[in-house]
Amino acid sequence: MSINEKFTAIRKGLLEFLVLKIVSADKVYVADILGQLSGTEFATQEGTLYPLLSKMRREELVDYEWKESEAGPPRKYYQLTAKGREQLRETSDYWQQISATVKALGKD
Amino acid sequence: MNKVITINLNGNAYQLEEDGFEALRTYLESAARRLEGNPDKAEIIADIEQSIGDKFRAVLGVAKTVVVTKEVEDVIAEMGPVQDASGDDEPAGAGAARGGPQAAAPGAAPGTAKRLYKIREGAMIGGVCTGIAAYFGIDVTIVRIAFAFTGFMWGSGVLLYVLMMIILPRAETSAEKAAAYGAPSTAEEFIKRAREGYYGGMRTFGDKKAYREWKSQFKREMRQHKRDFQREIHQNISQWRQNWRQHWGQHPHAHDSWIAGSFLSLLITIVSLAGLCAILSLILTGSIFSFALPAGMPMWMGIILLFIIFQVIKWPLRAARYSVYYHGGDGPGYWGACHFFTSTLVWLVALMALLVLANHHSVKAHELLEQVRHQTHSAVDSVREWWDRP
Repeated sequence: MSINEKFTAIRKGLLEFLVLKIVSADKVYVADILGQLSGTEFATQEGTLYPLLSKMRREELVDYEWKESEAGPPRKYYQLTAKGREQLRETSDYWQQISATVKALGKD
Repeated sequence: MNKVITINLNGNAYQLEEDGFEALRTYLESAARRLEGNPDKAEIIADIEQSIGDKFRAVLGVAKTVVVTKEVEDVIAEMGPVQDASGDDEPAGAGAARGGPQAAAPGAAPGTAKRLYKIREGAMIGGVCTGIAAYFGIDVTIVRIAFAFTGFMWGSGVLLYVLMMIILPRAETSAEKAAAYGAPSTAEEFIKRAREGYYGGMRTFGDKKAYREWKSQFKREMRQHKRDFQREIHQNISQWRQNWRQHWGQHPHAHDSWIAGSFLSLLITIVSLAGLCAILSLILTGSIFSFALPAGMPMWMGIILLFIIFQVIKWPLRAARYSVYYHGGDGPGYWGACHFFTSTLVWLVALMALLVLANHHSVKAHELLEQVRHQTHSAVDSVREWWDRP
């Protein structure tokens, strides 16, 4: 089992955290999110991202508004809700703890 | 020259080559299937359609008005398989999906689950045993022997068989046959693969990721089936119970004794075992406890006669036990039906386990089983001969 496979579940769990981070910086639409993730370990596809965003919207972490684009039909631009910001803060803190623990235990 | 099909994606028209259209349709259908039960299904599908439309627009121009099949397949690969984020057992495969085998084969959704069917090929009566054997991948003769044994034990193997014969669908199409033996296939996938020349889709079957997805889908479907089945059974049972209450309310029975009940059960068990031993002895030695069959009577007829005789002996005992047990209260509706099925299943499972264990751990048992198998085959052959004779 390669490292890549071993961390599949972890990457899956972290994807929501990263999407929260990306959406927190600016109003973005799906292609922006995919673009920022591409080239990283978390590169993903529409087939995964759309269902995830719809789930996050159901949990009231993000919201979207329709905006006209220069070419083609209007797009959905996503932004964080108050609850989403709260969640992002909590997740960030928790992530800090986890990385501190990983660093502190044993040797490299 | 290729035929072109015009489609509507989220309010915009696009022209696709026919094969590309088929690929896209398969992709969207499998997406819809995976989002089954998701409250935002329609919205996610609309998002995906729009995104596909955007990608199509990028390859089209003033001089180019048709999206060719290769471009459709590229777009589908770029989109990646749709995965429901609300399902916990869904492998997301974030990142790893890109360029993986799943993405390279557009719409190669793992097919429907392996299913229990009746199979006509090689069937003796209704094809139930052949279907079960195919489902579990074991020798059909073992299934037949197990069925015959449960038939003698509580007489309910026969009922189970008849029920399955009625309930199970027959594998008619090639897709159903493939499903009966466990190769993954949706009808479309099947045709596509047959056309591409690798029949049965063994390539996807070896693919672990596809297999996992197939498994989780199968589990989900099974859970749904189970819920439906339980609901139905519960409705039936409560109805049944009510009817019996009314019936027994009008005709109260005075006699009751659980001692009589268990004594009768013991008697029935003894008679059943005696019947089983008689039939075994007939199969193995050619005579019933060294009493030879009447001259000219084939062995299979002897077996059937023995079976009938022992059923007839058991019948009054059973009837008596029935009236002792169910003299009132809830009636046989609930307890009776459940007990009937569980006892049959328990016996089937126990027998299978016993046979497998004996076969593996004892040379003598193995030889004996081989002999039984051989005898059953010749019994079957003699029946068939008799049947085919004009």
